[in-house]
Amino acid sequence: MSKMLTKEDLAKYPFLDQSAAFIEGYNLTLSDLSAPAYSGIVGRAVERVRCSIEGGASPLQLGDPETEILSYPLALALVYASRVRWLVNRFATFEAKRCEELLKMETAPKLAEVAKASFGWRVGLEDLKLEWERLTFSLGMAEYLEVAPQFHSPSWKLTNKYVDRGRVFLDAKDFARLLAENLKLRIIRKAGEEGVKDFELPAALQPHLGGIAGLLEGKRQLYEDEFPEGLVDDARPPCIVAIMNDLSAGKSLSHMARFAITTFMLNVGESVDGVLKLFGNVADFDEGKARYQVEHIAGITGSRTKYAPPKCEVLRSFGLCAEPDRLCATVSHPLNYYKRKVRAGAGAKAPTGGEAPTREGRVKGRGRGAGAAGVGGEKGAQGRPR
Amino acid sequence: MHKVVLDEFRGYYSRLPAEQLDVKDFVRREYALLHFGDQKMIRHLKFDSVSELKRSLVEGVPANVYYSSAYYRNPQADDMNAKGWEGADLIFDIDADHIRTDCKDEHDTWACLDCGCRGRGFPPDACPKCGMKKIDTVTWVCEGCLETAKREIFKLIDDFIVPDFGVSLGEIEICFSGHRGYHLHVVSEGVRGLTGDGRREIADYVRGIGLDPKEHGFRQVTGTGPIVGPDMRDGGWRGKIARAIYEFVSGRSQEELRAVVGPVVADNISKGREKFLQNISDAPPHWGGMRGYSLESLMKIANAAAREHVCNIDERVTLDVKRLIRQPNSLHGKSALKTARVSYSDLERFDPLRDAVAFMGGSIKIYVKEIPRVRIGDCEVGPAKGTEMEVPRALGLYLLCKGAADPRV
Ligand code: SF4
Ligand SMILES: [Zn+2]
Ligand SMILES: [Zn+2]
Repeated sequence: MSKMLTKEDLAKYPFLDQSAAFIEGYNLTLSDLSAPAYSGIVGRAVERVRCSIEGGASPLQLGDPETEILSYPLALALVYASRVRWLVNRFATFEAKRCEELLKMETAPKLAEVAKASFGWRVGLEDLKLEWERLTFSLGMAEYLEVAPQFHSPSWKLTNKYVDRGRVFLDAKDFARLLAENLKLRIIRKAGEEGVKDFELPAALQPHLGGIAGLLEGKRQLYEDEFPEGLVDDARPPCIVAIMNDLSAGKSLSHMARFAITTFMLNVGESVDGVLKLFGNVADFDEGKARYQVEHIAGITGSRTKYAPPKCEVLRSFGLCAEPDRLCATVSHPLNYYKRKVRAGAGAKAPTGGEAPTREGRVKGRGRGAGAAGVGGEKGAQGRPR
Repeated sequence: MHKVVLDEFRGYYSRLPAEQLDVKDFVRREYALLHFGDQKMIRHLKFDSVSELKRSLVEGVPANVYYSSAYYRNPQADDMNAKGWEGADLIFDIDADHIRTDCKDEHDTWACLDCGCRGRGFPPDACPKCGMKKIDTVTWVCEGCLETAKREIFKLIDDFIVPDFGVSLGEIEICFSGHRGYHLHVVSEGVRGLTGDGRREIADYVRGIGLDPKEHGFRQVTGTGPIVGPDMRDGGWRGKIARAIYEFVSGRSQEELRAVVGPVVADNISKGREKFLQNISDAPPHWGGMRGYSLESLMKIANAAAREHVCNIDERVTLDVKRLIRQPNSLHGKSALKTARVSYSDLERFDPLRDAVAFMGGSIKIYVKEIPRVRIGDCEVGPAKGTEMEVPRALGLYLLCKGAADPRV
């Protein structure tokens, strides 16, 4: 074991290589764990999964590091065996958050050690002082790029990073974030691997799975299709409407606009073909090229992760936030806008262009120039409960 | 394609020493051929040796030959999953076609397919007369275009690949594409595993996409206090922006500055130009140390200046994890020039229209339909229209491949 990492560290960061070695030292199989002697470990594992589902805090029990360490792989086994994708994502996110909090409190050398000992990252300890930042870490560009594209905030773009000779410089906060995100990605990717995809829990542990299924039942509406199949026209945020108008006018789109519309459509459940149809109007349309790009974004070719549309903040900085309305003021992501409007009943036979009967819809009608009164009136009428 | 072209192509491949077709990890690549007149490539070919590939080129005489940037376990499988992707080189493509050059007025024409409106030079996005976007183009390359592409490849290597990406000159291969531009292959182990997402970030980096100067240290201390900014020696775009602004402000006339930031600020900056520049170079992070311009106007300058330092690559090629790319030393079916490898140290002196010529000696009689001025090797012809002429073999094949001439006997 690395001198720097204590048993407590293994409990905090059970994804470290050394934790795996530690567990192997026990020479236990999963079925062994069903013995009464290990009920504490099983209990803790279930607790970890439960906390991730319910979103509660799960205080580390550092007084008993063995249980912490041993319960982690079991918790993962329960999650994978559930075969519920939502739970895998949820657990991964939860673990990543938990680690990020802990990592933020570590010293720089410890952070670097954790990164090396878990993901084999070649981390440099730097001391680059810029005007108001202090970049204490550097990471190989390829390693950075394995994770950073997950974040869609402009500050994570390679273009906006301090880069030198193949290394990306980061401050401690961002480094911890990146490390945690990588943990999340690995947990999620592993779910698709051979041997994990169809993983079955030993019979003796199956009952615990039943308990977890019970917990999931309560969250069903959260993870079952959040959106109706296909696009609900009336729930589209203004930015997306504007891009679609440009498309039907045959204008060619900027890279960002194309990315935004494609990710948006895919995320609301449109098919690749559905998205391609949108682009069909544009003169520089090249079916092969476009298909490649859309599939790439959908995650069918090239990369495995599916992209989310950019946040409002990003769209705004690319000049794509067109005529935000009142609902816009309360959201920071176009998908949230869409979700809220869908929930509020947009598309329930509302004529195209009609406002959803949300509160925002009803209080509208404060003139938007000539003609607005008429339109607003219509909207008001529609806003009445039917 | 004309028989003479097929015969000459076959002759070229028979004479070609097979090892010139070699690429790194030859057997792990997919190969693809496109025959003259065909739309569809023959893909998923696997060759166990360079001589096997050579044999197939001599027999089939394809117009274009490609290999995959990707390494596969089973290159011959036609299904992506079965192929077993094991990484890919990182490729950059610079094509003179995509770059606006003044010489395009001399050799390129376009026509609107809707209303018939015509023009010279770089084609407009939409027809200026009817606004439609179906634009047909006839494009040529000249020394000017190729020189621009070469400057762009130098910029890519000297400003991005080496200093920012930390790739050494030993890990790159430069190829003249055989027609209009250059390809740069990064073949180091370190880039092989990059995902499509990661490659997109790299393409965006080189093109300056999403660049936000404010992420690079520009700030105004309190509301109206002094402006601080990056140091010209900083890494990545951070230093590049600082240097770009320095260059921009020192090299622009007052008029040109006015176009970017408006008259008041431009006049203030021109008046204090010396001091402004001196502060950037001598007193970082204190920028300007003078009044009369705001952070916002400085950001306008930063964005305008940065535009001049981005590199014009075709991003689709870079973000593809399994691109098919021209085989070194194969012939280009639209030019009869070869895809020539060039070392970095030879690049400055490299003259594609001479050094990538694949056919030496001999002459051909042709009937020229319509051409601008064209040079291949030492011979220059055109502009010409509807005439017969006897030209050196390489030039003749070039015009035949471009479809601008027919053979005469
Ligand atoms: S605020 Fe967000 S959702 Fe609304 S238009 Fe702007 S980018 Fe779109
Ligand atoms: Zn027209
Ligand atoms: Zn030219």
